[in-house]
Amino acid sequence: MAGARSLEQQERRFALALLVPALAVLVLTTTAPLVYLGWNSLHRIDLGMPWLSGFAGVDNFAKMGGDPRFWNSLALTGVYTASTVVLQVIVGLALALLVLQIPKGQGLLRGAAILPIVLAPVVVGLFWRTLVLAPDVGLVDMVSRALGLPSRNWLGDPQLALISVIAIHTWQWTPFAFLVLLATLATLPPEVYEAARLDRAGAWQRFFHLTLPLIRPAVVMVVILRTMTALSAFAAIFAATGGGPGSATEILNLYAYRTSFTELNLGYGAALAIVLLSITLVISYLMFRLRRARA
Amino acid sequence: MRTAAPPALPRAIALYAIAGIGLAVWAFPVVWGLLTSFKTERDVLAYPPVFVFTPTLANYREVIFGASSIVPNLVSSLIVATLATALTMLFAIPAAYAMARLRFPAKRGTGFYVLATQMLPPVGLIIPYYLVLQKIGGLDTYGGLIVIYLTFSLPFAIWLMVSYFEDVPLEMEEAALLDRAGRLGALWHVILPQVKGGIAVTTIFVFLNAWNEFMFAVVLGGNRVRPVTVAMFNFISVEQTQWARLAAGAMLAMAPVILIGLFAQRHIVKGLTVGAVKGGGRR
Repeated sequence: MAGARSLEQQERRFALALLVPALAVLVLTTTAPLVYLGWNSLHRIDLGMPWLSGFAGVDNFAKMGGDPRFWNSLALTGVYTASTVVLQVIVGLALALLVLQIPKGQGLLRGAAILPIVLAPVVVGLFWRTLVLAPDVGLVDMVSRALGLPSRNWLGDPQLALISVIAIHTWQWTPFAFLVLLATLATLPPEVYEAARLDRAGAWQRFFHLTLPLIRPAVVMVVILRTMTALSAFAAIFAATGGGPGSATEILNLYAYRTSFTELNLGYGAALAIVLLSITLVISYLMFRLRRARA
Repeated sequence: MRTAAPPALPRAIALYAIAGIGLAVWAFPVVWGLLTSFKTERDVLAYPPVFVFTPTLANYREVIFGASSIVPNLVSSLIVATLATALTMLFAIPAAYAMARLRFPAKRGTGFYVLATQMLPPVGLIIPYYLVLQKIGGLDTYGGLIVIYLTFSLPFAIWLMVSYFEDVPLEMEEAALLDRAGRLGALWHVILPQVKGGIAVTTIFVFLNAWNEFMFAVVLGGNRVRPVTVAMFNFISVEQTQWARLAAGAMLAMAPVILIGLFAQRHIVKGLTVGAVKGGGRR
């Protein structure tokens, strides 16, 4: 008994020795700054007017209630996140199901799918802003001109700009859903399908009753990861529209950034970041619970 | 792999057409950017677009040797991404092994903590970092950027490595321990060689993410430390209509990650899927 206990103790000590450095780094680089962020959110920190800085209690949070730009950014965050995640999963899954039936050439498509994923979002935003969406000379306008459709100011019109940034995000991250779901589908045992085919289950029925439940964990995981990415999307929007025109594409993340580093109002920016942080944590908590409950 | 009955011809055509559209939509902007980088500015704005043109290297010459050279920015990116990756792996590998294989108190809580740190929105971190680094003179330094890059790369690397450590057969480890190799010896001589591939994939991912990072770089960087993503962004505000030059710069800036992506294609797919597929059964 004594030997077993000392072995266990030895294992514990070894585990701590391996873990402590990484955990110490995480506490120092993430948790400590977050505490400081919380502290800052209770202050007025205006680098433009430093003499006004000081403790402000919950003023920053109270201010949000009457700030239309905040509510606008909150609504945009919802629209942007929901639409990009749904589009990515539906397009990615549909394409994966189709491509699985192609005997040759899957590799080529997988290779192409890697491209958007590895590109820096800021470069993607710049690419779309210039070569793809620019009025008259961008790819999209060239195609629509060739088809006899009118040219549009894709990033200059508030509504079109929102559609454009959603399209850009969907373009960049759908390959992720596609690749993950393709790999998952490829691991499913063929017998399951054979049995269903003998039962004469229709294609749709087979999908909803057989395939979907089997790949559910992967789909949920994709939704969780993509939601987190969408909630903190920044560089592509920043490069394509800067959050504009006006605040037409200013999701909460961008609003917090612009408040802090364009308007130099870091106290209010910190409060906005706290709100985004809370939303992110609540959503991820709910999604992880959902996954465990039904997995 | 599911073996479907050979599709009928019209069906096959439809399938290939859809796959072809997917291929074109994903690859075309990059191919178009590559073409543009060899054009003169006049060819860029031509309508109808020119596919056949006399290629010029002037744009590349400009972004390498010219006044708006991005070479210093490439060097900045290389320094930041390499050091951040090395530090990340140094801390992540031991921690991931402990989390995958060893018993210790509050194991579940530790896992959740690492996961939670990965969920933090970057904008929440950049504000305190800016205020602190400004006070201690750490803005526009390599140290500042490298430290903040750990905030997103370390939790990610730990979780990815955990999934690789979990794949190592338990028996190998037990055999090594019975051999009186000692715990550290077993980890070093037996386990680590088993996860070499996982270490390579994780290193690639961490490097990619660090190379592509923008928000931290634009706020904490400056005239001395300006990674290439920031240089690209400044390009368009300074030289608004020099699209061919922008394309050349972007191709140069993205060459490392595109090459890594295509070269390590299969591993990247595995890296992406490990968390997603295995995640279904874990925690």
